[in-house]
Order: sequence, then C-alpha cells, then structure tokens
Amino acid sequence: MLADLPILSLITFSPLLGILVLLLLPKHRSRWLKVTAITATIIPLLLSLWLYADYDGTKGGKSYEEKATWIETSLNKEAVGEVTSYTVNFQYHMGVDGLSMPLLLLTTIVGVMAALASVHVKKRWKSFYIWFLLLEIGMIGVFLARDVFLFFVFFELTLIPMFFLIGIWGFMNREKAANKFLLYNGIGSAIMLIAFVVLVATAGFSVEQLSDKQQINLSYSGSYEVISSNLTDPGSYVNMPADQNQGQDNPLYLSERMRWVIFLLLLIAFGIKLPVFPFHTWMLQVHAEAPPSVVMIHSGVLLKMGAYGLLRFGIFMFPGVAQDWAVALAILGVINILYGAVLALVQNEFKLVLAYSSISHMGIVLLGIASFNEVGLNGALIQMISHGFISALLFLVVGSLYERTGSTELKDLGGLACSMPFMSGILLAAGMASLGLPGLSGFIGEFLSLLGLFGSMKVITGIAVLGVILTAVYVLRSILGITFGAMPERFGAVRDVRLIEAVPMITLLAFIVLIGVYPAVLTEPMKHGFDVLLQQLTEKAGR
Amino acid sequence: MDTTFSQWAWLIPLFPFAAFLMLLAFGRGQRMLGVTLGAASSFAGLVLSILVLIEHMTDGTAYYQYAFKWLHFGSVTLNAGFEVTNLTAIMLVVVTSVSFLVNVYSAGYMKDDERISVFFSYVALFSFSMLGLVLADNMLTLYIFWELVGVCSFLLVGFWYSKPEAKAAAKKAFIVTRIGDAGLLLGILLLYWYMPDHALDFVRIGNVFEGNTGVIAAGVTTWIAVLIFIGAVGKSGQFPLHVWLPDAMEGPTPISALIHAATMVAAGVYLVARTFDIFQASQTAMDIVAYVGGFTAIFAATIGVAQNDIKRILAYSTVSQLGYMMMALGLNSLTGGIFHLFTHAFFKALLFLGAGSVIHAVHTQNIHEMGGLGSKMRITTWTFAIGALALSGIPPFSGFWSKDMILHTALQEKPFLFVIGVAAAFFTAFYMSRLFFLVFMGKPKGDHAHESPSSMTIPLVVLAVLAVVAGFIQTPWNDTLGTWLTDGAEKAHGGGGLVMVISAAVGLLGLYLGWLVFVKGTIARDAVSSRAPWLVRLLERKYYMDELYEMLLVRPLRGLGLLLNLIDDYVVDGIVRAVGGTAVLFGRGGTRLQSGQIQTYGLVTLLGIVILIAAIVGRRFW
Repeated sequence: MLADLPILSLITFSPLLGILVLLLLPKHRSRWLKVTAITATIIPLLLSLWLYADYDGTKGGKSYEEKATWIETSLNKEAVGEVTSYTVNFQYHMGVDGLSMPLLLLTTIVGVMAALASVHVKKRWKSFYIWFLLLEIGMIGVFLARDVFLFFVFFELTLIPMFFLIGIWGFMNREKAANKFLLYNGIGSAIMLIAFVVLVATAGFSVEQLSDKQQINLSYSGSYEVISSNLTDPGSYVNMPADQNQGQDNPLYLSERMRWVIFLLLLIAFGIKLPVFPFHTWMLQVHAEAPPSVVMIHSGVLLKMGAYGLLRFGIFMFPGVAQDWAVALAILGVINILYGAVLALVQNEFKLVLAYSSISHMGIVLLGIASFNEVGLNGALIQMISHGFISALLFLVVGSLYERTGSTELKDLGGLACSMPFMSGILLAAGMASLGLPGLSGFIGEFLSLLGLFGSMKVITGIAVLGVILTAVYVLRSILGITFGAMPERFGAVRDVRLIEAVPMITLLAFIVLIGVYPAVLTEPMKHGFDVLLQQLTEKAGR
Repeated sequence: MDTTFSQWAWLIPLFPFAAFLMLLAFGRGQRMLGVTLGAASSFAGLVLSILVLIEHMTDGTAYYQYAFKWLHFGSVTLNAGFEVTNLTAIMLVVVTSVSFLVNVYSAGYMKDDERISVFFSYVALFSFSMLGLVLADNMLTLYIFWELVGVCSFLLVGFWYSKPEAKAAAKKAFIVTRIGDAGLLLGILLLYWYMPDHALDFVRIGNVFEGNTGVIAAGVTTWIAVLIFIGAVGKSGQFPLHVWLPDAMEGPTPISALIHAATMVAAGVYLVARTFDIFQASQTAMDIVAYVGGFTAIFAATIGVAQNDIKRILAYSTVSQLGYMMMALGLNSLTGGIFHLFTHAFFKALLFLGAGSVIHAVHTQNIHEMGGLGSKMRITTWTFAIGALALSGIPPFSGFWSKDMILHTALQEKPFLFVIGVAAAFFTAFYMSRLFFLVFMGKPKGDHAHESPSSMTIPLVVLAVLAVVAGFIQTPWNDTLGTWLTDGAEKAHGGGGLVMVISAAVGLLGLYLGWLVFVKGTIARDAVSSRAPWLVRLLERKYYMDELYEMLLVRPLRGLGLLLNLIDDYVVDGIVRAVGGTAVLFGRGGTRLQSGQIQTYGLVTLLGIVILIAAIVGRRFW
C-alpha cells in the first residue's frame, strides 16, 4: 500500500502545501499564519510516522525508492560506432535506509516542535514561516536524496532560508552571524562540490551494454548506488590504473592518494557543518544570535547533516581510506569533546554553554564513527538522534526563558525553580539527558559510542571518558545557576509555561525518555543500516 | 529455578515506581497523597522482600533470574534483567525496611514543607532505583540504576534548592560521584571486550573469574577490579572521593538516614561484594580495597572528633564505617563486609533519624547549642543511646558483632590493619560519647524542646530494636549469615576471645574518655586545643581536603577554560577572520580592477597571455 505511493516525495514536499497557503494569507494575520505553518509541519511528521510504522529494518527501504530522470545531458551529438549514447545524468532519486530513517523522524518531529516554539516570533510571520518550511524541505531532502547532485541541491536549499532566518529574526548581532554562517557553509559547500564533481567524473562512470550487444551506453551518473558499487567493484574503471584495452593511463582511475584527497575534502566539507574543531566558530554565533526556535532546527537537525554526510559519503564510499583515518577521527572527536566541555565550563551566556556543549556532544558522534565497528557506528547514529532531541528541547526552554526574563546571561538568572517549577524541571531533565543519565537517550548514544571505540582504541576512550565528568560539571553549573539558589525579586511575577509551550516540551522529553528506556524504537529500523559497510570493512581487513 | 516469591521480586522496585508516577501526575497540591503512597508502596515492597528473604533462608538453593534483550542490533545484544540471590535478598530487606521507616518518619518530619509531595515522589524514585540496583543481574543494568540513585541523591540533597549551601552540596555530590562513575564505566567497557561472548551478567562473570581460570589475563583483571572499585569509592565515600558525603547533609535529615547512611552509600560495598569474584582473582586489587578502606576508617573517624554539626559528625562516622566494610571485603571476608553493612544500616539510620528528631525540636545542628535534651525527649534519647552504643561497638549491640568480625579477620590477615581498625574504633566511641553527652546531658540551653510526634518516634523504636538484635545473626559461635551468604565457604571464626575483649575495651575506653571530658570535666575540654591548636584546626578543616581539590582541580580547570576561551576567540576565530578578511581584500582588489579603462584591461590580458605561454612552454621541460 505505502510502497505504491511516492511517499518519500510526499514527505519531502508536503511543506510546499503550507507555503502555498501562506502565500495566499494576509501577512498581518499572525494566528492564521501560525496555525497554517504548524499544520504544514505536522503533515510530513504524520507521513514519516506512517513510513516508520511500515518500514522493516530487516528488508531495508528498497521498496520505497523513487527514481526519475532529472537532468540528462548528452556529451556526443550522434552515435559513434557502437556507443549509442554518452551522457551525464542526474536522477531524481529518493530512498530511505537504516541511516536516513531515524534522521527523517528526527527532522519531522523537531520541525513541528520548532514551529510550535516559533510562537515567540514577533514580526513578519509570513516570510518567517515560508523560509521555515523551505528549510524543512531542504533538510528532509538531504536525508532522502540518493543522488549526489540532488543531495547538493537540497543541502544548499537549507542554507538560504537559514541565512534569512538568522539575519532577520535573530538577536542583536544577527546580520554578522548570518554572514558568517553563509560564508563558512558556502566554503564547505564549495569543497563538497569539488569532491562530488570528482566522484561523478570518475566513480560515476558506467558502461551499460544493451541487450543486442551492439550498443553501449556510456554515462556519468551521480547516483549513490552507481558510485559506491563502482568504488567497491574491483573490475570497474575507477579501480583500474591502466585501460585494459589500450594500455593507456586511465583518466577515470582514482589512485589511493586521490581517494585520500577526496576523503579529506569531504571531511572538511562536512566537518564544518558537524562542526569539527577548529571549524566550529561560526556555529557559536548562530547559537547565540539566531532565534531560539531556529536554533532548535540548527542544533537539532542541521548539525546532523554534517555527520550524516560524513557517514554517507566519507565512510560508506571510502571505508578503506576512512579506516586508515580512524585514529585521526577519534582524536578529533576527543578534542571536540574535551575542548567543547572545558569551554562550556567558563561561558557566561547560557546559549554559548549549549553551543560548546553541542561541539562536545558531536565529538561523541565522531568517536562512534572512528570505532569502525557495529557497536560504535550504531552508537554514533543514536547519539545524533539523541543530541537532536536534547538540544532542541534545551533551546525550546531557552526561547521560553528569554521571553520571561529578557536575558539568558547566567549572571542575570537564578532561583527560577521557585517561580517556574515546571520549566525548571524540564530544563533539569534536559540537562540530565545531556550529561548522559541512563534512562534518557543521551546515555545510549554516549555509552555505545564509547563502548565501540574502546574495542579499537583503549587509551583514547579512556581520555574521552573524562568528558563524561566535565559534562556533568558544566551542565550542573549552568542549569543549577539558572534554576537553583535564591530567587531575585524581579522574577517573582514570572509565570510558568503556557500550554502551547508545555506541549512541545513534554513531547520532546517523551521521545528522549522513550529512546532511553526502549532503544529498540531506534535500533529496529537501523538494525541492518551498517551491514554493507561492516562487511566491506571486514573484507578489507581480511585481504 | 522454581521459586514462589523470588520470581515476583521485580515487583518490589515497581511499587515505589508506580508511586512515583502517580505523584508525578497527580501530586500537585495533594499533601496527603505523597505520605500515603510513599508509606503504602514501601510497605508492599517490604512485605514481599521479607517473603523473598524467608524463601531464601529456608531453601539455601533458591535462586531466580530473568533477563530480556534490551538493546539489540545486528550481532550485538545487551541484556537487562534481575536476579535474586541470597545477597540480593538480604539487601532487599535492608533497603525496603529502612525505606519504609523513613517514609513513615518523613510524614512527621516534612509535615510543614510545602513541597512535601515532591519530596515523597523523589524518595519513591530513589527507592525504585536503589531496589533496581540491588536486583540487577548484570553490570550494565546495575550501572543504569547506579546512576539513577545518584541523581535521586542529587535531587534530594538539593531539595531545599533556594539555599546556596544545598545547591553547592547537590552539585558537589553529583560531580564527585561522577568521577567514580567514570571509572566504573571504563571497568564495564573493559569487561565487555574481555569477557567471552561480551557477557556482562554476574553469573558468567563469576564463572570466568572464579578460581582464576586464566581466561582473562591477570593485568586486565586487576584493571577491571580497580576501575570497578573507583566507582565504589565515589559512591561509598571512600578516600579521596569522600568529600561529597558530609556536604550532602544539607539534604533533609530523613534523606541522610535513608540515602547517605543506610542504602545508597552502601551500594559501593554491595558492588564490590557483587563482583567479588573479580576482586578475589587479583590480590593487588584486594590489597587496594583493604588499605583504602582501612585508611578511610581512621581518617574519617579522626575528623569526626572535631566536628560540631551533629549531622556532619554522623556523616564522617558513616564514611569511617564504610571504610570498615571495604576493609573487610579487601581482607577477603565477604561476610564481614555485608554483615557490617547490615547492622550499620539500622543503627546509622537510627542515629540520623534521632538527630533529625533533635533538630526538629531545637532547630539547630550545632551540638554546642544543644544540651540537656535527655529529660525532654525520652524516646529520642534512649533510642539514640542504643544507636550510639551499637556504633561504638559495645556488646551485645549489633555493631559490636560485625566490627568484631572485621577486626578478627584483620588480625589474621593484616595485623597492621587490625591496629588501624582498633584505633578507629576508639575514635568512634569517643566522638559518639562527645556527641551524646553534649546533646543529651548537661544544662538545657532553651526550654522549647519537646518530644517529636509518634510518626517519628515509632520508627526510632523499631530501629532501636533492630540495632540491638541484628548482630545475632552472626556471632563467633554462630555462622548463620556467613554460611548462607557464601554457601559455606566462609565459616564463623569461633572463639577469638582476645579480639572481642580488645574491641569492647577500646569502645568502653572511648566512651569513658568522652564521659571524663564532657560530663565529669576531669579533663579540660581544651586540653588538646590549648597544647596543639594546629591539630584541632587540621581536623576541623578536614585535613584541608576541600582546599586541596580547589587548588589542584577546580582552579586549574577554570584557568584552562578561560585560557582556551581566549584562544578560541582570538586564535581559532582570528584565523578565520583573517582568511575572510583576505577574501574581502581580494574582492576589493577585483572591484578596483574593473575600472572601465581599456588600457588596464589590455595590460592585464597581455600579462595573462605571457603567463599562459610560459606555462605551456614550461610544461615541456618539466
């Protein structure tokens, strides 16, 4: 039933419906605009939940795939000899697997919650929500695209809305932050594009022999499948130093050194997004300056695009090279963890504490990836999802907090548990999830990543575990600083959360608890997500 | 596996958990709901625990274990489950009985607090976590509950969150124990990768390590044991991670009795006992456990002598007694450690609840501001006296028997630790008599004190009875507990009259000295402080441990943070800004080039052609 529908396209583009309605609405009717936008984010959520219910981790997502020719450019005018066609083609190819399924859910859930949290937006609702919905299309597309060019388009589609969302609706230094965001991510995209072009021009080349054996189609394709199968197939052109027939240098050949270079390019491109030290400074400003509901998306989902890209292209396509980089990746991860944690310790602005905390937590993802074993890779993916929910929840609270106190500077805050027990409770719970308390999602990702890495690198894991202690220190310092202690007079009249704020808080916390207590909700769909990769890794190890 | 009650043991933690959920959902503004649910759920747990214990006592082979796949993907499976052994059965009774009594007591003690239902919900969550910890059948499940009890402890220490001291104490409790937890976590990681089939359950851990079969290399075994012990050090307030426990006294007093005396702080001892096979496989680890325990026992006992806050004296006493338990385990006496855990749970809970009753009456915690309460609070005084005698190791109270067993083992295994233990016993008796005489004897310092309500005194009486009789399950002539716990491997030591005499004499001597100083006045109170003020100061300042941590850890870490912050701002981001600036500069340069002057364009074009030609020609030679 579900397989007959173009479900993936429906999920991706359903927010467009909201955009159309928004365009027709008068721009001063904030209530209508908000309701429309929230509804427009609920549709992809419901659809992706439906997909989740239907999805079987053991079978994978083959049956949902959608393929259509999108861009096809012929490189020769007429048929030459037996070569009938010689083309570059990019397909509209959407698919879902164990890697993208959890991230799709994360995106659609956080999307709704962020739309709800956007009730605090005070101006230009119409354009805000249009950008917001465009951003959501981009994010979903990134996780579902199965063609590098399509991926790139969706990836870029997230940049522009984000630029405006930061630049127009942010805090004091919003324009500077928006510029830095665009500049940095633009560089990242450019590097990514170079890597993609090289990939398409080498590994993307394939020869298709038509049935009557007299005709051959040559094509450069951007499809993940084509690229990765060519990269792993020892008989493909990309793996042959010299042309078999003519004995000439093979222009399609990717030497080991070239693979290193491409991997490095991908690592930098996605490392900026992740972010990996020392490419993190842009995201500090985004965390501090963007409106909190946009940061929910940014910290909750956009950072995961970095980790996802690194996994999907860096690791899945170059498992051998990546494994050579394992120690470097682990060290980068440890640096992220400790550097982020130590810096979070001395920040006076709560949003910056959370920003550095994100750096620290994304370091755990790197650790999981660097383990190159089943436990760690799964841990990395769970950590991505978990951090998405936790940071979304934290910034949801930040938004509500700022509404009431007019500041998120730690020195201005204190004793809020007295006037806002509910919100303080949620904040404390989110903090506990962030520091990896068992029973909440943060623990699963952290534990599995460390467990996995310990299997391959013991000493580095030992150092990384120090992060567990430091996290507790900065989380408690900041959150107790806000909620505990004597309450200043001026907060006496501050009211606790409204229903519209409480609903997303409880929902996000519910997911955090659900994953923490019953991790099967995540591990079921992703069960075989890493099978191919792991098989390749063992084969390489065995050769 | 055929058991009547043990198979239902999983219900024991679920009673308080249900209470917690109900309080979370409906607790707001319902003052009585917390009291009712707290008492009812813990009573249900107590009844079932007693049934389970009886089953295990009548049938020595009773055992039940159940596990399910908790985390499962590909070829990886991590289980969760519960297991009822003799050790868990006795711990269940300890936890549920103290928990029930504390719930009843709190109904009186917390009566006027406006967040009473929050209090009871935290206590219920704690009981759930603690019982889960006790029942856990593998290291991972245990670790999960281990962390949860830590959080509950944190929440309850910081219960009066608007007090800055409570905030600081809660934070400290969490962070310091977290240091230990990091060790335990690493221990589990090691176990996972070295155990056959990645098994983490205690049964297979026992099988692998028992008898030192060599499946796991000796070095690795020591590492695992030591890392697990680091976790126990954090939780059970052993030196040098003991610093959080005295500060945790900022929490409500019933909590000090339940969490910071009887149950959670004993979890470290329980953990070592649960993984005893690993420790037994490594003599190095055993020695570390024994010496850390022995040192903690004497170290904390001496600090206890110079403290003035009634709860802090008891807290240091707890640290010291936990040291005894660890020492016993390190001396290869599982029975000794668990026996002392068992008796200590009752008499220390009694002492804390008694102290709570006193604080409730006089509204101060400074023992120098108290006095003469004996005549006004008869039940509190008598029960407190029983607790103090039990703690001081005076026969025939329970503490005497368990301490005697530890000292006897120490004399046989490591005479040096025996001396330490005896000295600590002397200090224990001395600070208890100081405490007792200053609080309950002498002149009253205020006349508003009155006996506490019966909801508070009844638990005191029950605990006092237990503090008297609990010791008889294991005496030199009767090895019920030892045989039952260790399946006959550890027998009663029989005789050992000398140790008993020394132990009782030292206790009495300590009490007598206290009496001479604080009642009779034969020895001036400032006898020591006038001769060696530095010594008293050293003890009052707790050997400057907090200051040491501040200097060695807190400040350097903060300094590092500030330094890195500057680097992040000026170097890491500075480079980025420089790169960005260069790009802008190029852009500006580019703008200037598009001046519209055809001559300039021509020049640049020419230059370009020259470079191109040079490149092409140069390529030939290259």
